[in-house]
Amino acid sequence: MSRQGRIGLLGLAAVIAVVVFVLARPEEGSDKADDPSRNAGQTTPAAGDDRPTATAESALPPPPTEIRLDGGEVQGGVQRIEAKAGSTARFVVISDASDDIHVHGYDIEKEAALGKPARFEIKTDLEGVFEIESHVAEDAGREPLIARLVVEPS
Amino acid sequence: MRAAPSRHEPHRQWRPLAVALVAGLGAVLTAPSSAAAHGFGGGRTDLPISKTLFIYAAALVLILSFVALAVLWPKPKLAQYRFVALPGLLSRVLLSRPLAVLCGAIGVFLLELTIYAGLTGVQTSSANFAPTFVYVIFWLGLVPVSVLFGDVFRAFNPWRAIGRAVAWIAQTAARGPIPAPLAYPERLGRWPAVAGIFAFAVLELVRSGGDAPDTVAIAALVYSAATFVGMALYGVEVWCERGEAFGVLFSLLAKISPVERRGDRLGLRPPLAGLAALEPQPGTVALIAVLIGSTSFDGAAESSLWTGLAPKIADGLESIGLSPEKALEGAFLIGLTATVALVYGFYRLGVAGAALVGDDLRAERLKGAFAHSLVPIVVAYVAAHYLSFLVFQGQAMWFLASNPLGEQGVDIFGTADRPIDYSVIGASFTQYAQVFFVLVGHVAALALAHDRALELYEQPKQAVLSQYWMLVVMVGFTTLALVLLLQSNV
Repeated sequence: MSRQGRIGLLGLAAVIAVVVFVLARPEEGSDKADDPSRNAGQTTPAAGDDRPTATAESALPPPPTEIRLDGGEVQGGVQRIEAKAGSTARFVVISDASDDIHVHGYDIEKEAALGKPARFEIKTDLEGVFEIESHVAEDAGREPLIARLVVEPS
Repeated sequence: MRAAPSRHEPHRQWRPLAVALVAGLGAVLTAPSSAAAHGFGGGRTDLPISKTLFIYAAALVLILSFVALAVLWPKPKLAQYRFVALPGLLSRVLLSRPLAVLCGAIGVFLLELTIYAGLTGVQTSSANFAPTFVYVIFWLGLVPVSVLFGDVFRAFNPWRAIGRAVAWIAQTAARGPIPAPLAYPERLGRWPAVAGIFAFAVLELVRSGGDAPDTVAIAALVYSAATFVGMALYGVEVWCERGEAFGVLFSLLAKISPVERRGDRLGLRPPLAGLAALEPQPGTVALIAVLIGSTSFDGAAESSLWTGLAPKIADGLESIGLSPEKALEGAFLIGLTATVALVYGFYRLGVAGAALVGDDLRAERLKGAFAHSLVPIVVAYVAAHYLSFLVFQGQAMWFLASNPLGEQGVDIFGTADRPIDYSVIGASFTQYAQVFFVLVGHVAALALAHDRALELYEQPKQAVLSQYWMLVVMVGFTTLALVLLLQSNV
């Protein structure tokens, strides 16, 4: 390859580097700006959940996300619970039947029954996506996945 | 790996071993399946990489590619490399007969333990030795071992060990060497290995309940039977080098390694140099396409594109008379096959482009000429996709080794209660490591393709022109790897 060719390619590489740096930077900023939950370090209500969210008492932790099991089916499809690493993930599984709810990875299992929801308060010291399953559904050969706990690095 | 996708299967039946053995590999596809639990895989998955990281990584791919084209060496370098022999004593010990027998015995023991645990142990995939050993320790764990230390699996290969032992007994009894009944057909090349690896991918990704302990054990038995037939027909060493799928795969990856065996000497070579000496036997490109394709499909199966498409394909198959479960398996088989075909087609497109450059190099000759440059990309795909799975699920060996059958109260080494520590690597580390492996694989592939182009073309200008086509192929594969890291199941 000629000398000019080489310099041209290096120049092209430099141009790409500059363009991407300029383009990607604001996105990084807006990423955080659009999504206050990322900084809050708290759980956010799952999609499709239309409970009123805490507004006035912002000092208090927001109410836990509710996951409702109706006849073994999770209402509104597989739920998503978000938390930052090093915070606390709070959620409640309300079931109309006896069930064992298992959070993988953290390996926490709690019983739920009619009128006795399973309340979880998990210190999020592990990062990743963790499946939350109903053991009753699993034993019956149904889809056991009811929600995912998404713990992002803080 | 998310092992086979979970489906609704209330019933399970048991199929006698003999039937499965007689039915051959096909049985693995058609045997009634067991309940697929999420179990195996531990229920933890990676977070998708952030968009920012993705954009930076994709840009780096382009920048590295252009810089590489500009500064890479002007004369072929890898074809002739320097082999530095290790001290003679080290070679003699590592390649000694007693050690070979010991390693072979360990390999055979592990294969037998896998089959025994799979058939007689508890039928929960996460509590039984067989699935984790086969899918994590053997299939994924041997990848970094081969890349770093060379063809270690050859020493532990249980099928080779058994074949050599049988051959030794037969030859001692016959008082002379027994030639293989058939000469290995050159046209067959690595194709038997392609079939073996594809069958493994089908078991892992398509078959519902492919992670069930008994299924894993039966598959191991069927595969062993097929391997012994191959060895009996074509000779033990020939079959291990061409047909035995895992031996072929791990020796291919070991060509990246700086460790090389020449006759009875071990020595060091520059990393990647071994790949330049890879024989382009028939089936090599297909083998690589199956590896990249199956890893991509495993990643893409999480994407909304596939979760939206799969039920539609399954509905179509159901309407032509398949049961719902078989229809979903059929959809996954179509998805896997299509991904492998796309990878293969994309590579052939690059070769067809390079053939346009001229210099009387036909596509037929070029077809295999660049296959070796894709091997680092294979490793990059596997590393990016399965890094955390290997690190976390591999720890399950602590408790599985102490209690391989998953029985109550068994604790051989005192580690039966040791849980998986999910804090060994964090999510950020994982993401940077994934991107790092993809970028290193890309640069390695570029360097190999560049070196080969310089070797093939007399005029440097044509070498550069042909390289643009291969560059498109590399950038395509690398970008796909990054896109798959961006995919998320949440």
